[in-house]
Amino acid sequence: MRAVRRAAPLLLILPSLLLALAVIGYPLYEMIRLSLADVSRFGQIRGYVGLANFARVFADPVFLSALLRTLEWTIAVVGGTVLVATPTALILHQNFWGRSLARTLVMLPWAISLSMAAIVWLWAFDGDHGMVNASLRSLGLMSGNVQWMARAETAFPVEIGVGILVSVPFSVTILLGGLSSIPGDIYEAASIDGASRLQAFRFLTLPLLRSFINIAIVLNVIYVFNSFPIIWVMTQGGPDNSTHILVTYLYELAFRLGRPGPAAAVSLVMLAIVFSFTMIYVRLQAREQSA
Amino acid sequence: MTASRMVLRSALCWLGLSPLLLLVIFPFAVMISTALKPIDEVLAWPPRWLPDHIAWHNFADMWLAADFGSALLNSLGISILATLLAIAIAVPAAYAMARLELPAKDLYRQFLLVTQMLSPVLLVLGLFRMAASVPLGDGTLVDTRFGVILIYGAFNIAFAVWMLASYFATIPRDLEEAAWLDGCTRTGAVLRIFLPLAVPAISVTAIVTFVAAWNEFTVALTLLRDPSKLTVTLRVVNLVAGRYSVQWNQVMLATLLATLPVAVMFATLQRYLVRGLTLGAVK
Repeated sequence: MRAVRRAAPLLLILPSLLLALAVIGYPLYEMIRLSLADVSRFGQIRGYVGLANFARVFADPVFLSALLRTLEWTIAVVGGTVLVATPTALILHQNFWGRSLARTLVMLPWAISLSMAAIVWLWAFDGDHGMVNASLRSLGLMSGNVQWMARAETAFPVEIGVGILVSVPFSVTILLGGLSSIPGDIYEAASIDGASRLQAFRFLTLPLLRSFINIAIVLNVIYVFNSFPIIWVMTQGGPDNSTHILVTYLYELAFRLGRPGPAAAVSLVMLAIVFSFTMIYVRLQAREQSA
Repeated sequence: MTASRMVLRSALCWLGLSPLLLLVIFPFAVMISTALKPIDEVLAWPPRWLPDHIAWHNFADMWLAADFGSALLNSLGISILATLLAIAIAVPAAYAMARLELPAKDLYRQFLLVTQMLSPVLLVLGLFRMAASVPLGDGTLVDTRFGVILIYGAFNIAFAVWMLASYFATIPRDLEEAAWLDGCTRTGAVLRIFLPLAVPAISVTAIVTFVAAWNEFTVALTLLRDPSKLTVTLRVVNLVAGRYSVQWNQVMLATLLATLPVAVMFATLQRYLVRGLTLGAVK
């Protein structure tokens, strides 16, 4: 009887472990195998080649430029998101008329799938018929039409903008949670001590919010680094490989170019990066809880 | 606070939010405006927000061109079954996390965290090979809705356990303990006392999982081939990808129909979500 009671909790988590083993563990094992093998385009393993796939990948200029672009993409999207989300959360934390409507509107992009958002913006930025060109021209900001998606110099910033817009709601949510956890009486104490509202913001709100901003940054880095649909739907990494980030490059290697070995190697490099960010997140959380 | 200060503050807040709100509303305006236009107005320059003629036939045209009915059924079936799978597996696990003495609880927590951080796209090649190695009927799991359901279920478990456990911890133990005293077995107390109290938490988690499955793109893109099995997201993307001439009015109508139900559902539940997600993300 006691043994049953001891085993019961393990039995309750067992199904989740088994499913994860089958759907996450086995694919991971397969990818490690592929990354070390010479694989035909139909997935036949012809022999093991050690780290040759990794060497090939790191010698590939498309990979290196995609790696660099992933860095730009992640920094720009996450940075932009935090810059937009922080003031937005601070405003939404105020008490004003129509606040719940404003919150709902700010959260709205969250409900839309990334691929649908990408399609709508692709059409909005259409060079010949799009509403963006039309609006900018009617505001007098441009004289001719811009073919936004035809060149990386304009297409990639557009993709970054869409990335920021869809990441804002999640970050606002985290920051609002942080703001509501700050007890109101410290502000009263500060005002009794003669602190101005600006000082209260500078010396109370910002430092208390910082740990939540850190968490928002790390979680966003992980999500944005992995973000596939926006770039895949809007430019498929083109024109001429000029908007590839690692995920889109990996997908193209695996399913368009038929090179499973190198694709698996890219996946594992990315997994290692995600894993190290996850560790940073664990650290931050631990510090947050002990503070 | 005086009324005039409240007016001023409200005006300032809305003013501060206006650039972001404009960007949030813009795509919806584009969707609705384009979806209602006949194709000659869609391709006219300069485009106008309000159509001269409302093209009601876009609806029927799009429905046929995208085989939208069967795509809706596929999305609905896949999302519901994936949600049921994730919930059925996550509820017991979350109960163990929140209520029982789980050996190696920290290890399990880290396992959840790591699986939550793994996005399917990083494993997509392995997922494809996994599906190809499982025989089912005449073929394998590749190009089956069942394979997609299994993968969606698995990738949503970490989040569901996380969210459910943080809610479960807020349900008071006293009621269950009182039931034991009245001679109820532990299982009986869980079924009759605990689960009814947990219904709101389970519904919120189920809806988030449903929305995630409904919106998913990468796994469906990789696994599904047969046009009759495609989900709504894939169908809509296929109306655009690789086409020489795109019927943008149909595409926008399709994105609108794919988006609106989920957006409405999400907007009404947003309050609960904010609570649950911050619990999950921060605590």
